[in-house]
Amino acid sequence: MTSIDVQDLTKEYGTRRAVDHLTFRVRPGRVTGFLGPNGAGKSTTMRLVLGLDHPTSGSATVGGHAYAGMREPLRQVGALLDAQAAQGSRTGRDHLRVLATSNRIPDRRVDEVLEETGLASVARRRVRTYSLGMRQRLGIAAALLGDPAVVMLDEPSNGLDPEGIVWIRTLLRRLADEGRTVLVSSHLMNETASFADHLVVLGRGRLLADTPMREFIDARVRPTVRVRTQDPAALRSALARHGHDVVEHPDGHWTVTDARVDDIGRLTSAAGVPILELAPDEGTLEQAYLDLTANQTEFTAQPQEA
Amino acid sequence: MQSAPVLRSEWLKIRTTRSLLGTLLALFAVTTAFSALAAAPDPSDPDFDPLFTTFSGVLPGQIAAISFGAMAVSSEFHNGALRVSLAAVPQRGRWFAAKVTSIAVPALVVGLLTSLAALLAARAGLGSAADTLTGGEQVRAVAGCAVYLTLTALFAAGLTTLLRSGVATLSLLIPFILVVSFVIGDAAGTVVEFMPDRAGQLVLQQTHEGTLGPWSGLAVTALWTAAALLAGAWSLNRRDA
Repeated sequence: MTSIDVQDLTKEYGTRRAVDHLTFRVRPGRVTGFLGPNGAGKSTTMRLVLGLDHPTSGSATVGGHAYAGMREPLRQVGALLDAQAAQGSRTGRDHLRVLATSNRIPDRRVDEVLEETGLASVARRRVRTYSLGMRQRLGIAAALLGDPAVVMLDEPSNGLDPEGIVWIRTLLRRLADEGRTVLVSSHLMNETASFADHLVVLGRGRLLADTPMREFIDARVRPTVRVRTQDPAALRSALARHGHDVVEHPDGHWTVTDARVDDIGRLTSAAGVPILELAPDEGTLEQAYLDLTANQTEFTAQPQEA
Repeated sequence: MQSAPVLRSEWLKIRTTRSLLGTLLALFAVTTAFSALAAAPDPSDPDFDPLFTTFSGVLPGQIAAISFGAMAVSSEFHNGALRVSLAAVPQRGRWFAAKVTSIAVPALVVGLLTSLAALLAARAGLGSAADTLTGGEQVRAVAGCAVYLTLTALFAAGLTTLLRSGVATLSLLIPFILVVSFVIGDAAGTVVEFMPDRAGQLVLQQTHEGTLGPWSGLAVTALWTAAALLAGAWSLNRRDA
């Protein structure tokens, strides 16, 4: 089993602590979303896992081994850190060939990943001429080069067009379904919600949450139910009888806070209230995330003291 | 051999970068052209050294060697390219050794071709003024010139790794070479003799007056280069990528 294990990891740059006693494990077979505001330590953590930065204390291992000791690591771990890192004067194909050669990966595989990432037609153009989306695809192609069991992508949907975003979502899903360990950082909530099974949330270098995504949302956002009726008086009295709070909106729909759609459905049906619309609103990742990080964000305006 | 794939990868980087191939071409063209130009004989000059005249193209040509060494490394310090390289080859010493070899081998090969071409071009110009050159001196100078250019390129590569910038290296080394060679020049004493460029250039001179001879001079340059490479390797190992 190849998981990423971060143990009591701390990294200081001068006096600033970018990663602060971080412990978590990223498991195979699911997509783990790596969330946090800018500067929370996501990229630093990834660099520490890859042995690029030296930790102040603690350790990070992949499949039980320190990355810095791995021979031909691209066959085990594929990473995208920065799509701008490919040298502009080289062609996309040559960029991948340079990486493949160093890990004894055949050129045939280079052409495969170019095909897979939709870059085959521009493979012999210089990277300088690539759009941000194409560079992002090239970075993902590099991560897939060694057919690795662990894939780590830092903000992969940056600069992708809508088609590319759907593509990456499908790709991440497939990689996880194939049993790989997939860690994807992002600060886009709706995007992360569309592919993540599990979440690791950082704030100011500390671990704020390490839970399945559904649990993360359910624990933080009270579910509400949206209702529309022909008989507002009957609805109000039926709900009031069962102690539900209800809010009426100008466009004629009502929301019942802190309630499950099953309960409200049964209750209104029993009371004979004519229902036009009944829908659950279970909260979004964005709501849950903002609730969690409201007091963690470095960039939140601090309340002025009198 | 376990380092062979890394070496092939680094060599592929150089082959696929046109500007690097350009600096090697410039090294050849500039050195040969200036040697040919300098070969207008003036034997009445008491300081006339037919051997050094033959290889005088090295003085401008070494700037191309410095550029080659500096640029081959500096591209790693742009936009986090080094992170991609070290994620593929995490053993930094192994990676740096491959990088250095991939600079040294083409520099040596091109340096050898360059010094041969410079010798042929200059001898054509010098005519009978070159008659005092012995075969041994010419072989020594051709081999020494190639080694000197290689050491110069590696010195720049080591310094670039230490400074993490090609621009910083070039703006340090090029004025240094111009100032030491042309301004301080003969005015200063033996200290200048031990400078990385002056010491190595002794191998290109027919007569030697100072403490250093042709090979000991080249050895001094090799020590400078070794120091620069070690400093670069130390910095690479110690710092975050």
